[in-house]
Amino acid sequence: MSSSTNTLAKKHIGVLGGGPWGVALAFAAARAGAEVTMHTRREPPHNDAVGVTTDYAVVAKAPLLVVAVPSTVVREVLRSLGDHLDGHHLLVHGIRGLSPDGLDTVSDLIREETPVRRCGALGGPVQATELVHGRPSAMVVGSRYPEVVAAVNEAFASPSLRVHGTHDIRGLEWASALVGCVAIGVGYAEQAGAGPGLLAALISTAVDECGKILTMAGAEERTMLGLGGYGDLLASIALEHRPEVVIGKALAKGKSIDDAVTDAKLRVEAISLIPRVIGFAKEHRVKAPTFDILGEILHGASPQALIPRLFA
Amino acid sequence: MSKAPIFGFNEHREEIVREVVHRVVSGTKDTLHVLNDAAYHETKRLETARRPEDIKEREEWRALARSLGRMSEGERRRRLTELTERYGWDVAGNFNPRVYSVSKRLLPPLVTALLQPTMFLKKPQELMHLDVLRSHVSVEGPIAKIQKLVEDGTAVFVPTHLSNFDSIVFGYALEAAGLPPATYGAGKNLFTNPVLSFFMHNLGAYRVDRRLRHNLYKDILKTYSCVLLERGYHSLFFPGGTRSRSGGLERRLKLGLVGSAVEAYARTLIHGKERRIYFVPATINYLITLEAETLIADYLSEAGKGRFIIEDDESSRFDRLFQFTRKLFDMRGAVVIRFGDPIDPFGNAVDDDGNSHDQRGRQVDPSTYVRDRNGDVTLDAARDAQYTRELGEAICEAYQKDTVAMSTHVVASVCFQHLRKVSPAPDLFTVLRQRDVLTVPRDELAADVCAFRDKMKEMEQQGRVRVGEYLRTASGGDIVERAIRAFAGYHATRAIESRANGIAICDPNLLFYYQNRLAAHGLAWDTLAPPGMLPAVPVQIRPAASPPRTDPTPSAPASTERSAA
Repeated sequence: MSSSTNTLAKKHIGVLGGGPWGVALAFAAARAGAEVTMHTRREPPHNDAVGVTTDYAVVAKAPLLVVAVPSTVVREVLRSLGDHLDGHHLLVHGIRGLSPDGLDTVSDLIREETPVRRCGALGGPVQATELVHGRPSAMVVGSRYPEVVAAVNEAFASPSLRVHGTHDIRGLEWASALVGCVAIGVGYAEQAGAGPGLLAALISTAVDECGKILTMAGAEERTMLGLGGYGDLLASIALEHRPEVVIGKALAKGKSIDDAVTDAKLRVEAISLIPRVIGFAKEHRVKAPTFDILGEILHGASPQALIPRLFA
Repeated sequence: MSKAPIFGFNEHREEIVREVVHRVVSGTKDTLHVLNDAAYHETKRLETARRPEDIKEREEWRALARSLGRMSEGERRRRLTELTERYGWDVAGNFNPRVYSVSKRLLPPLVTALLQPTMFLKKPQELMHLDVLRSHVSVEGPIAKIQKLVEDGTAVFVPTHLSNFDSIVFGYALEAAGLPPATYGAGKNLFTNPVLSFFMHNLGAYRVDRRLRHNLYKDILKTYSCVLLERGYHSLFFPGGTRSRSGGLERRLKLGLVGSAVEAYARTLIHGKERRIYFVPATINYLITLEAETLIADYLSEAGKGRFIIEDDESSRFDRLFQFTRKLFDMRGAVVIRFGDPIDPFGNAVDDDGNSHDQRGRQVDPSTYVRDRNGDVTLDAARDAQYTRELGEAICEAYQKDTVAMSTHVVASVCFQHLRKVSPAPDLFTVLRQRDVLTVPRDELAADVCAFRDKMKEMEQQGRVRVGEYLRTASGGDIVERAIRAFAGYHATRAIESRANGIAICDPNLLFYYQNRLAAHGLAWDTLAPPGMLPAVPVQIRPAASPPRTDPTPSAPASTERSAA
């Protein structure tokens, strides 16, 4: 990255959120040659190319902003940040969940809480640890605005990170959120002793269901079949440290949700989302047996009773 | 009020056309492709031509298509320039200030005469009073605000489209609201009527030939519209593209011409002469629609879906026009034009001073939306297409909010509900076959209409729909009577009819047409959602049988209360 001095001046990226995902995104951008400002109240690991601030006005100086805070606080963060934004900002979020109280996507919240139009969402199988250590992986950025896709590419793409673009931002946001839910099922099934064939069956039926749910949510079904949906879910088989997978495994061991969350060490958006997705599917008359079963898993149903149904 | 630029149109006409030609020709990279596309579409259009001049034109296009491959680039560019000039002049309208000032005085009586010929014959002097028209066509909305905005900015009026009558009525609405005239792309078929054509031509309308489907022509229209907006010409588009066939609100717009606004705005910034553009959504609401029968028949017939221009409908038959106008003028408040709140090209709300505000009410500089990361204003078609798409969504939302529901819509919705209940199968076409099989007791229908109206008033409080004046206060029975009166005597078949044992539901097609106006609101049956869009969630209307209890104890659930009463 030594030849990038001439572009350094215009590549300034702001990252909001100092959790593992925020830090990973900041480091990845720094590695790709950008000047990075992080907005966080925590103390992130030191990196020469990353400045830290607690002032929204300072981070808003960057024309490209990436929001990586938990979905429970995203509305408040956007509202405060919004005071310092205008129409020229590009705002991208990396939140794998929908609004904490309903089924709005985070880009819906961006529209409500900020003056920004040119927004995007990150998704795909890439994990925080891979970004931090520069292990090869793939990311998806969804935006209706080609320049947002281009800017994210410029900010994050490196020999070890492929960034794919899709125009169906809504589809990507829903797919990411639903994959998080199904990944709990993947962890659960793995722990309960399901082999590759059964896992494949689970994933395939779940993807089919998710695709129909996406259509009902006003997104494109095929987005579920891409890297941000199917691809993300496939990767979860091998990602035994992925928080949703960890929770699924803990639940299969008969642990309570609270204990399972402690095991995962991270907030998992999917847990509160599953009942809302079940309600949404019911309202729109989509058959979603996998999600019904996920709901029962959360309520502590035993693997012996569920596994046969999971593959019915 | 400062003088609208359209008053100087004739002096600038040549300049405008030249600018359009220059932009289109210099913006064309692949001349071979563009000419080929034009030749292909034109040859196809003229394939079955009979008239000698059409045949001659077709042969010219064929000759062009054959020789394109052998032409030098210079020759192709010359041909492209020629064509663009020809189309450019054809599109460009004319604005005659004298015609405007005469018609400004004449237009209201003219519209009145058109609407109510009997009165014109009896008491011509009364027509000089706008009040006559005012009592029949009401114009409402934030008019003072729009008047203020057009002083320094450019207005783009985007009304709903139901009838060929719309352009006349909307032209009147602008005049009545004290707003400047707007240039308007009128279908070329409207120019064939000599009287109308004279006014259209001289009031700044430009001609849109909807038979031409090739990209060069579309590009010329878009560029023409962009140049006009850039120069501050207030414009009028019907973003639905054509009249709504189903009677329903527009829910997905044809954004081609609307889309030129972002580019026009960006260009004023590039030239250092920022001129803001304000979109003004508007609804045109009719108690009865002139062409209802033809339009709904067209909508329902599979074959009709391909018909783009209807040449022979009620609006071209004078007897029908006559009956229609007599009916309209028989009933007060039969036409309501409602202007919505102005928005900027990026979908932001606009205040009285023309400043844009985001959804949280923060002021935002609209120019920032067309600036890149370095703060420079850029032209970017892909970006602007997305802004326009979001703008289209905002306009459709405004349409719903500003729909003024009338007796015919409400009564049709309620009747259609009853039809669905007795239909042997739940699909639309079975329901539509239930012709003259159901009579609803008068009291029952009146009670249902009342409950429906009360629900709408609740929704009005939440800003989701508007309730028409008559509807607001009349009794259920009176609303039904008014609808019957409106339907009778104009439409060839009776939609509903008063009989000894109640109200007979006679023509489901017509009722379908009128109930469709409230489909997007979830108030009526929504079968109209465009592909990829979910049908509206049905609004639950409390059954009229259970009057609201006055007992304030909130303990018992509603369902048990009903059985107790």
